[in-house]
Amino acid sequence: MRRILAVARKETRHILRDPRSLAVAIAMPLIMVVLYGYAIDMELKRLTVAFLDLDRTPASSELQMEITSSNFITPVQAIPNRSEIESGFRRGMFRAVVVIPEGYSEKLATSLESPVQILIDGADGSTAAVVDNYLNAAIARINRKLASEAFGVETLPIEARTRILFNPQLISAHFVVPGLVALVLVMICALLTSIAIARERETGTLEQMLTSPVAPAQVIVGKVLPYIVIGAIDAALILAVGRFVFDVPMNGSWFVLAGYTILYIIISLGLGLLISTFAKTQQVAMIAALMGTLLPTLILSGFLFATSSMPFMLRQISKLIPATYYLRIIRGLMLKGQLWFPFETVALVTLGTVILSVAIFRFKERLD
Amino acid sequence: MKTIITIVRKEFQQILRDKGMLRMIVAVPIIQLFIFAYAVTTDLKNVKLAYVDHDRTSESRQLVDAFFTSGYFTSVGMAENQTKLMSWLMEGKADITLNIPIGYAEGIVRGNVSDVGLIVDGQNSSLSGRGRGYAEAIIRTEAAKLMENKRLEHPELETKMHRIVPVTRYYYNPELESKKYMVPAIVVLLISIISGMLTGMAVVKEKEVGTLEQLMVTPITPMQFIAGKTIPFIFIAFFELAFASLIAIFFFKIPFEGSVLLMIAAAILYLQVTLGAGLLASTVSQIQQQAMFTVWFFLLFGILMSGFFYPVENMPKWIYMLTYLNPVRHFMEIMRGIFLKGVTFSDIIPQFALLFGLGTLIFGTAVIKFRKMND
Amino acid sequence: MTLNHSHSSNLAVVAKDLTRCFGNFTAVDNLQLEVSRGEIFGFLGANGAGKTTAIRMFCGLLKPTSGEAWVDGLPISRDSEKIKRRIGYMSQRFSLYDDLLIEENANFFGGVYGLSKKEIELRIAEQFERLGLTKQKRTLTSELPLGFKQRLALACAMMHRPRLLFLDEPTGGVDPIARREFWDLIYETAEDGATVFVTTHYMDEAEYCSRVSIMKDGKIVALGVPAELKRKHGTQTMEDLFLKLVGVSGESGESVE
Ligand SMILES: Nc1ncnc2c1ncn2[C@@H]1O[C@H](COP(=O)(O)OP(=O)(O)OP(=O)(O)O)[C@@H](O)[C@H]1O
Ligand SMILES: [Mg+2]
Repeated sequence: MRRILAVARKETRHILRDPRSLAVAIAMPLIMVVLYGYAIDMELKRLTVAFLDLDRTPASSELQMEITSSNFITPVQAIPNRSEIESGFRRGMFRAVVVIPEGYSEKLATSLESPVQILIDGADGSTAAVVDNYLNAAIARINRKLASEAFGVETLPIEARTRILFNPQLISAHFVVPGLVALVLVMICALLTSIAIARERETGTLEQMLTSPVAPAQVIVGKVLPYIVIGAIDAALILAVGRFVFDVPMNGSWFVLAGYTILYIIISLGLGLLISTFAKTQQVAMIAALMGTLLPTLILSGFLFATSSMPFMLRQISKLIPATYYLRIIRGLMLKGQLWFPFETVALVTLGTVILSVAIFRFKERLD
Repeated sequence: MKTIITIVRKEFQQILRDKGMLRMIVAVPIIQLFIFAYAVTTDLKNVKLAYVDHDRTSESRQLVDAFFTSGYFTSVGMAENQTKLMSWLMEGKADITLNIPIGYAEGIVRGNVSDVGLIVDGQNSSLSGRGRGYAEAIIRTEAAKLMENKRLEHPELETKMHRIVPVTRYYYNPELESKKYMVPAIVVLLISIISGMLTGMAVVKEKEVGTLEQLMVTPITPMQFIAGKTIPFIFIAFFELAFASLIAIFFFKIPFEGSVLLMIAAAILYLQVTLGAGLLASTVSQIQQQAMFTVWFFLLFGILMSGFFYPVENMPKWIYMLTYLNPVRHFMEIMRGIFLKGVTFSDIIPQFALLFGLGTLIFGTAVIKFRKMND
Repeated sequence: MTLNHSHSSNLAVVAKDLTRCFGNFTAVDNLQLEVSRGEIFGFLGANGAGKTTAIRMFCGLLKPTSGEAWVDGLPISRDSEKIKRRIGYMSQRFSLYDDLLIEENANFFGGVYGLSKKEIELRIAEQFERLGLTKQKRTLTSELPLGFKQRLALACAMMHRPRLLFLDEPTGGVDPIARREFWDLIYETAEDGATVFVTTHYMDEAEYCSRVSIMKDGKIVALGVPAELKRKHGTQTMEDLFLKLVGVSGESGESVE
């Protein structure tokens, strides 16, 4: 134990003496949580719409008013003719144009259907779909009003009663912030430890240490101990910011979360150790850790992008990433209040056992 | 000039000899392009829908079918009751549930309003929001169909009924594939990483090994050194740009509507930014990792605030204002515009001007700092 | 601060009150020095005495805190760019591109000094022949043994036929045979008329120098022809002299001349 502590103390000194790596370890996660919390806002807040009113009647102005009465929709300067539509899209002046054709009001008064054209900048497909939804919903509202004027009653025969669970206001930060814990822990535990071990290998101090009476296991434990502490501090910091700045709820149990987080930290450290056994230099360790752990965690674990819309192969890869399961657990706990994760637990323990045994086996083998 | 060529030649000799570097220039970007293009998707697909149908009539089955033929939803099965639906939501087996009550069909026939229950797992705010939108739209469409049927039964109502019919048309990306929007942005990402990081690392390597000091006692001026050091990465960045664009166009079938010349001009302005960033990182770094970290750190900022994933307008006002100072945002808008919309120079003058200003600022600062460092 | 021109014309290096501080630590303290053309000047001193700092000032890599120095008659405060064309420098951690072929290294430095392609070819042929590198021309620099790397570094520093060579511990870590051969090269260079300004920790090498100075704590504590210095201080070898002047007992502050 004393030997482990000696190694740990030395490692802590290394970390404390290099302000930049300390900054990476502590400040970076904080910056990330603020940045991601604010910058990744998936909710469309300002939908710019231009009108091309070829009808110019009270009825057509009323339609415009009715559409822009929605909070999200911000009208921009009306455009005089069709030729302005494309150049407006190209300049990004608006996301949609509502064209009210000539004869709109007449048709509305006399015939069953009066068409209105909605032109949408589809380049950003998912935003376009939302835009379409907003505009269609606005028109449906008007239609309902027209119908009730005609018949005196609401006549839409089916009505959706929608309830949203777990994140009723659909706040992006509630989704993103818990996920960041998973990302940052991989960054600290896998990236920094693999570099730290590769550094000792590169400079020959690892050999030096192993010729002393310290056992390899003690060296490993001593080396990773400070990173466990940093990882735990980071997780706590992120959760604190999430709680007090972004009001992320905790519907489950902090104790259960702490337990799974420790498990996840150990697995991440195992990944770092594993990478360091492949990497001869810090450079290689860093690239391998970025490509092998950070990137997959960022894009294939469901941190931001739903794995369900990815192709089969990527879905299979995502099943091999520890963060996939940890993410479900932390979000389940915080947002859903779920307490029981049999499948995720089995998956994490299995992955952890495999990663750690391969890492330790390879670490020992590299010493012979 | 001859001196610069000498440095450039040396730089290429080193790059070509370094297998790791070559891999980084050729293989890594391809892998990233492919994985990102498939993974970084904001498409709504395979939303897991569970339902309970208490009514069990042809009308209720019609509504359920409408969901599954829409292409957005996949079935996770029919539950026997609401409790089961709730537990599926809790376990994550379902993303959205649909509850059709008893009397659904009868209500419609009688002319009453039938309520249909939707419960949405709101965790992933963006997908949930859109999933909800689609689900409600399907129900609206179904309702409109039923109204139509009613109208056919009561022709006498016809003169009283009026409604607005929206006819929607999507420009540039009619199928609304997120791939089309993401791939040009990924190309931006790739050339940023390659040119910024490699420049930073290549300069710091000279520092690390001590050759920088050796060069400083030769008649090379700092400007010549900077030129000689960055020119190879301009070539590499353009190689990368061409290579990635070709894959985008021919493999991913991303349309290319704009002008190649405009793209080259924008890229030159943008390279000032990335090369400048690499150079700046090298002035504050002693070893290559530090340079890499520094570049990566700033790049991450740039990418997050560029509208890469979600429109910048979604951000709080103060962040939105800051994004004007983000060169990544402007170049990304230009590239997406050139690929998908066929923008012309006059359409993107503001972006060009900002890119030029910011690029000059960053590169200029880098040069000044670099010269100071060598005094 | 002006220097008599006729006086300076046969001096390769002159330092007058040359001082360099790092924070409040003075690494080079009021250095006074004159080195004539064609000399092999040994610049000795303990670790941390300030030798490298002084050389870096001569080469224009560091600005003096105060004082002035002239290299090949040019003041370092104003003409460092011109000086760079006339000198060759091998730094203590002498540095070549490990991932270039040795020929490519030489080619590069030739280009950097503005030599034409023809000249470079000529110089490479001539120097590689002299330094015995011709056979390894197409070897990767990282694969060379240390002794050869040092020769290559010398070749690179001399591509442009400098009149003055600054060699900062050129033979550190090299075996005795390679050292001996390296010094033969230094002699040849000096015979061709170049001035060689060299630091070393090997006292046998100090014996080969036409004149030496010994530095301690940023100051020169002895300066002269090796044989005379030994006689003056009553020691048998340079090693004894060095120990006497900078050793623990060291009567520092002993004045020069
Ligand atoms: N950039 C610097 N900043 C602060 N102190 C420095 C710097 N460069 C050198 N020094 C200090 O100046 C003193 C003289 O260093 P210098 O390298 O000139 O010694 P030296 O005589 O060349 O020693 P050695 O024989 O070990 O090469 C040393 O104490 C060193 O720590
Ligand atoms: Mg020295």
